[in-house]
Amino acid sequence: MKNQTLTVLCCALLCAACSKDYDPVPVPSKDSSLEGPKQDMTWLGKGPRKLFVLNEGGMGSNNASLDFLRFSDGAYVTGAFRKMNPGIAGGLGDVGNDIAVRGDELWIVVNNSGIVEVVSAEDETEIAAVQVPTPRSIAFDDKYAYVTSWAGAFASGSYDDKGNYTIVDSSNPKGRVYRIGLGSKKVEGSVEVGYQPEGIACSGGKLYVANSGGISSQLPPAYSYDNTVSIIDAATFTLSRSVEVAVNLKSVWADGKGAVYVTSMGNFWDVPTGLYMFPEQDPSKVGRVGSDAVKPEALHVSCSCIHDGTVYCLGTGNEYEWSVSHKYYVWSFTPEDTATGKGRCTFYPQEFSGTPYGICVLDGGADTRTLLVGDAGDYFNPGTVSCYPLDFNAGEKSWTVSAGVCPGHFAIW
Amino acid sequence: MLSLLLCAALLQEADTLKASVVSTHKDAPVLRPLEEVHLGGRKAAPVLLSDVLRRFTGVQIKDYGGAGGLKTVNVRSLGSEHVGVFLDGIQIDNAQNMQVDLGRYSTQGLEGVALWSGAKALRLQSAKEYAGGAAVHLLTAAPQSDSLLLRLRGGSFGTLNPSLQWDKRLGPRIAMRLGAEYLGSNGRYPYQYFDTTLVRENGDCRALRLEALLSGQTGRGEWRLRLHGYGSQRGFPGPVIRRASGFPLSAERQEDRDFFAQGFWTQDWTGRYSTALRFKLSSSYTHYDTHPEKNPMAMPYNIFYRLRSAYVSLSQSLEVAEKWYLDLSADLDGCTLGSDVGQFVSPRRGSVFAALSARYQSDRFRAGAHLTWMGAADSFDKHQAGLWTREDASRSAWMPSAGISWNAATWLEIDAFAKRSYRLPTFNDLYYSLMGNASLRPESAFQTGFDFRAHDESDALVWEVRVSPYYNCVSDKIVAIPTTSQFRWTMLNIGLADIVGLDVKGAFNRSWDGWNAGVTIRYTFQRALDHSSPGSLTYGNQIPYIPLHSGTADASLGYRGWTLVWEWSFTSERWSRSANTDDYRIAPWTVSDLVLTKEFGGRLQLGVRVSNIFGRSYQLVQGYPMPGRSIMASISYSPF
Repeated sequence: MKNQTLTVLCCALLCAACSKDYDPVPVPSKDSSLEGPKQDMTWLGKGPRKLFVLNEGGMGSNNASLDFLRFSDGAYVTGAFRKMNPGIAGGLGDVGNDIAVRGDELWIVVNNSGIVEVVSAEDETEIAAVQVPTPRSIAFDDKYAYVTSWAGAFASGSYDDKGNYTIVDSSNPKGRVYRIGLGSKKVEGSVEVGYQPEGIACSGGKLYVANSGGISSQLPPAYSYDNTVSIIDAATFTLSRSVEVAVNLKSVWADGKGAVYVTSMGNFWDVPTGLYMFPEQDPSKVGRVGSDAVKPEALHVSCSCIHDGTVYCLGTGNEYEWSVSHKYYVWSFTPEDTATGKGRCTFYPQEFSGTPYGICVLDGGADTRTLLVGDAGDYFNPGTVSCYPLDFNAGEKSWTVSAGVCPGHFAIW
Repeated sequence: MLSLLLCAALLQEADTLKASVVSTHKDAPVLRPLEEVHLGGRKAAPVLLSDVLRRFTGVQIKDYGGAGGLKTVNVRSLGSEHVGVFLDGIQIDNAQNMQVDLGRYSTQGLEGVALWSGAKALRLQSAKEYAGGAAVHLLTAAPQSDSLLLRLRGGSFGTLNPSLQWDKRLGPRIAMRLGAEYLGSNGRYPYQYFDTTLVRENGDCRALRLEALLSGQTGRGEWRLRLHGYGSQRGFPGPVIRRASGFPLSAERQEDRDFFAQGFWTQDWTGRYSTALRFKLSSSYTHYDTHPEKNPMAMPYNIFYRLRSAYVSLSQSLEVAEKWYLDLSADLDGCTLGSDVGQFVSPRRGSVFAALSARYQSDRFRAGAHLTWMGAADSFDKHQAGLWTREDASRSAWMPSAGISWNAATWLEIDAFAKRSYRLPTFNDLYYSLMGNASLRPESAFQTGFDFRAHDESDALVWEVRVSPYYNCVSDKIVAIPTTSQFRWTMLNIGLADIVGLDVKGAFNRSWDGWNAGVTIRYTFQRALDHSSPGSLTYGNQIPYIPLHSGTADASLGYRGWTLVWEWSFTSERWSRSANTDDYRIAPWTVSDLVLTKEFGGRLQLGVRVSNIFGRSYQLVQGYPMPGRSIMASISYSPF
C-alpha cells in the first residue's frame, strides 16, 4: 500500500517536474519546407543555389551537422542532414571534417565515424555512405573522389572483395589517399602518402596532398611534424614525388592556372604559420608567399580559402600568446608570376575577434565580394556564421546567424 | 579515536531515522552532515559506493556505465574537483585530474558514508579538510573482535564479486583486519540505439583489492595503519557514435596499479590538549593502450602515467576555556607525475595547508570560525617545444569559513555556514601536452547555506524533515579554450557559475507488531547558471549535466528478518552543453530498483537486487548508455 501511494506521489512530482516529449520530425518531401532566419542574398544573382556549411561537432559527441543557406529566399537552415534523413539513427556522425560539391552531389567527410557521406545537393538525402578509416579531406577529378586518411597514423589495412576492412600493419604510421569511384561509390584502391595527410587538391592530372604529422609530433621516437607535400599521379594512382615545404601542413589550393598553394600551421612555438606556393610545372620551386612590399613573416594563416585564383586568409599576429584573445586580419594573395612566386598582397580593413574556424568567399560580381566566417566560439557550444563585405559595393551585407558546433567548412552549389 | 568519534556522530543518525540527540560535547563537528548512512559493518547487503551516494540530496553522480565505467561525485554543482573524498580522515587525492573514481572503492569494511558541504569543523581534523569545498567521508570502524565475513555477489553482465574480511585481536590493545575483494564483469549489456538494440562491447573489468589494517589503543589515544592495494584491467567502451559498420567503437584498454599506506595516531595528552598525526604514501600507475591494431579509428596511444605522493599532517586541539576550543592543523603534501607521453614535463608539486580554527561548543549552540592558507609550488622540466619558458610556478590562497548550529527547540535545529575555498589547477589543466597553461590561478568556490531540521521520535513513529537552501558561486573556473588552432588549446580562468539550490528531505519510519515500514523522500532543486561571458549565446543558461529537479524516494518494509526496499530516482531534463537547445538535451529519466534481503540469525544473509526493474534506457553522461534491467544476488556468511 505504502509503495503504491509513493508511486502516485512520485509520478505526480515527476510530471510536474520534467515531462516534455518531442514528436518525431515528419519527413519533408523536399527541403524547401525547412526554414530558418532569413538574410538578403538577392545581390548574389542567379547562379549559385545553396551554400552548404559543415559543423564539425565535438570529438565523441556525435554532433556533426549540415547547415545550408538557400540563396533563393536567404533562409539559413540548421541540421539539414538529420531533418532530411530521419532514418539514419546516428545523424551525420562524429566530427565532420570536409565538404565538397561534385555535380549535384555533396560529399561530406565524417572523420571519426569513418564515413564519407554522399548526399543529394538538391535535398540532402543520402545517396551513399562509403567506409574510409579516419578520412580528412576530399578532392575530385573526372572519375574519382580522393580522400586523405589518417588510417596509417593508427593502422593501415586493406579491403577485400566484399568490402571488409582488414588491418595489415599497425606499426606503420603513414597516411593514405583513398580513391572512391564517382559512379560506384566504392573504394577502388589507396596509395600511401606522408604522416597524417590533411588537405588535398587535384589539378592537371596530379593530386597534391599536405602532410601534417600532427600525431607523429606527439609520438616517439621523432616527435616531429611532417613537412612534405605528396604528389600523386592520378592516372597511375602512384606517388610520383614528395616536396618539402614547411612543418605541419594543412590546406592545399590549386588555382587551376598552374599555381599550388599550401598552408602551414607552424609548430605553435617558434615556427609561425604561413602560406607557401609552388608552380605545378616545377614543384621544387617552393616559396613562401609575399611581395616586394610585404614580407612573408608578416602574413599569418589561421584559415584560408581560394576564390577565382586568389587565396584569402585570416591570420593573427601574436600566435604564440595563448592567454589573450586574438585579433584576426584578412588578407589575400593574387599571383602575378607563378614561376617567381611574386604577387599582389591585399589587406582588408575588417578585423575579427573570437575564434574564426573557416572562411569562404561569396561573389555576386560587380565588386560584391563578401567573406563568410565560421566562428567556433568555445568549440563546445554552437558557433556562428557571419557575413562581412570585402568590397565597398557589398555595402550593408553584414549578418550573423547561429550555426552548429564548430562551423568550419563551406561548399557552394 | 578520530574515526571512532566520527562513527559515533554517524551512528547517532544511523539510517537517518534513529536519530535522537545530536551530540553536544566537544567531539561533535560544528555542522551536521548533509547526509549520512550507516552501512552496518558486517550485516548489510553488499552495495556499490556509487549506489549509496547517488541517493543523497544535492549529489550528482557522473557514471559512464558498467562495472568499469568512471564514476565521480559532484556536490551542489561545485564540480567534482571541489569534492574531497576522505578515507578515515585522509584524502584520496589525485593531482593529475582531481577526480576520484568511486567505482574503485567498495562498501566492504565501511561503517558509514557521510557527506558534508561547508565548514564541518571537527576537532583535530586535517587542514586539507578545512580547505576542501565539499567532503565525502568513508568511515571504517576498528576491528573489535575475532570475526570472519565471507560475501559473494554475482549476476547480470557476468558479474562475480567475492570478498572476505577477517578480523583478529592480536592482543589486548591491538587488532588487525585483512580484506580482499575481486570484481569481475564482462560489461556486455544491451542498450537502445534509436530503434535498434545493441550490446556494449569492450566494457569488461577485472579488479582486485587487498587491504590490511592494524589498529590499536595507547593510554589515551588510538592509532591505525592501513595498507591498500588495487589492481585492475578494463576496457573503455567509448561514447556511442555513428561509426562505419566495419570499425569498432573502441578497443581502448586501461590498466591500473594503485598502492597506498596510510595511518593516523590521535592522542589526548592532558584532557585539554590533544593531537592527531596522519600520513599517507601512495603510488598509482595507469597504462592506456588504444590498440590501433584492433581499431583503425583509434589514436595510437600506448602510454603510462605514474603518480607518487607523500603526505603528512599534524593537528592540535586545545581547550582554552570551558566550551572554547582552538585548533591548529598543518599538512605537507608532495607529489610527482611521470609519464612516457611525448614532451612530458614531469611536474612536481609541494603544497602546504595550514588551518586555524576557533570554536565554541555548548549543548544548544555551536559556532566555529576558521582560516586556512594553502600554498603550492610546482616545478617541471622545461618543455621540449619551449611552450613554457618558466620552470616553476607557485600559487597560494586564503580560505575563510564559519558555521553555526543552534538547537532552537528539542525538535528543531538550525545550521548556517559560509565558506570560501579554492582548488588548485590539476596537472592536466597545467601541463597537458599542447593544452596546458602553466599560469593558471586556483579555481574559487564560495558556498553559503542554511539547514533547518525538524524531527521527532516516539515509539510508534520516527520522523525527520530537512530543508536546506543554499547559494554557491564557482568563479575563476578553469575552462579549456581553443587558441589560434584547433590543435592547440589552452586552459583559462574564465568560467563563472552561480548556483541557487534547495535540498528537501523527509523521512518517516513506523514500527508495530514486529513490522517496520519506512519512507524517505529527497528532492533537490538546482538552478546552476553559466555567467561566464555576458552577451554570449550561453549566458544565463543551465550549466551542463545539472538538472533543475532531481530526487529519490525509498520505501522499505521489514518483517522478521525480511526486508524489502524499493528505490526510485528521477532526474529532470539536462543539457550536455551550456547551450540549452534541443540538440543537446538529455531526456529526463526515472529508474526503480528493488532489493529483497533476508537475515538468518545474524550469521547468514541472502539478498537480491533488481536494478532498473522497468528496463528504462537512460544516460547519465551523453553518449554513455546505462545498463537496462539487471539482477544481482548476494550471500553473506559469517562463521564466527
